[in-house]
Amino acid sequence: MIDIIFLTLAFFALAGGYGMVTCKQPIHSALSLIVSILALAGLFALLSASFLFMVQIIVYAGAIITLLLFIIMFLNIKEENLPKEDDKTKLLIIGSIVLIPFNILIIKAFSTLPSKSLGIKEDGFGSIKDFGEVLFNNWLIPFELISILLLSALVGAVVYARKDKYNG
Amino acid sequence: MADSILAYIILASLLFSLGILGVIARKNIFIIYMSIELMLNAVNLIFVSMGRYYESMNAQVIAMLIIAVAAAEAAVFLSMIVVLYKQKKSLDSDVFNVLSQKEAL
Repeated sequence: MIDIIFLTLAFFALAGGYGMVTCKQPIHSALSLIVSILALAGLFALLSASFLFMVQIIVYAGAIITLLLFIIMFLNIKEENLPKEDDKTKLLIIGSIVLIPFNILIIKAFSTLPSKSLGIKEDGFGSIKDFGEVLFNNWLIPFELISILLLSALVGAVVYARKDKYNG
Repeated sequence: MADSILAYIILASLLFSLGILGVIARKNIFIIYMSIELMLNAVNLIFVSMGRYYESMNAQVIAMLIIAVAAAEAAVFLSMIVVLYKQKKSLDSDVFNVLSQKEAL
């Protein structure tokens, strides 16, 4: 049963990624990316990371991709504004051939790990309680640094979007 | 199959390769951005599966910090795209060469 769920989610993740890379219109690519991200959220749930499953759906599918879709619709892109990509298929084929050794290297490196059952753990692994304990005990300084990063990103976005004499 | 770590690693490396393909083969600036997001997601999948393998919560915390960095990146990148699109009226990444040395000389 778990195998069937895993294969379905993996198929949707790869199909979403493939559609994102090959679609011409940005809006179709963004919708394919949502499929891929939701499938990855399901894989996180399969790995008993229940809190990260919710974070992935709320932050990625709910905030980041919605912002991306909003910007794509806001810009009102016409056909003549899209770049001409005549050699797209050729570059995709050459790139995938070049990337085969990279994938073989990664798979060979990880295949030396001893195999171990990755079933669903029942003892609260990945729950919000465990997560918060580790986050606020071991990772407090990175957590505070992330808040500074988010604040500076907010200020940067406001500075870019401001109307002044350089970008009217 | 879902019990072995290798299945997750193969899936994550395939997703990462799709992200690299999107960056090198496409010129649309939106698709380059989405490919970067896909690569971040593939790395997150590796972190979560290795965290499950070693039964450690630290990997999931790192994955959540990566999601926060991706959110900050989304805000800055998309506002930059809006400004560039208003100036150039194109989504081609080749026309965004204001900072390159070619035009300045």
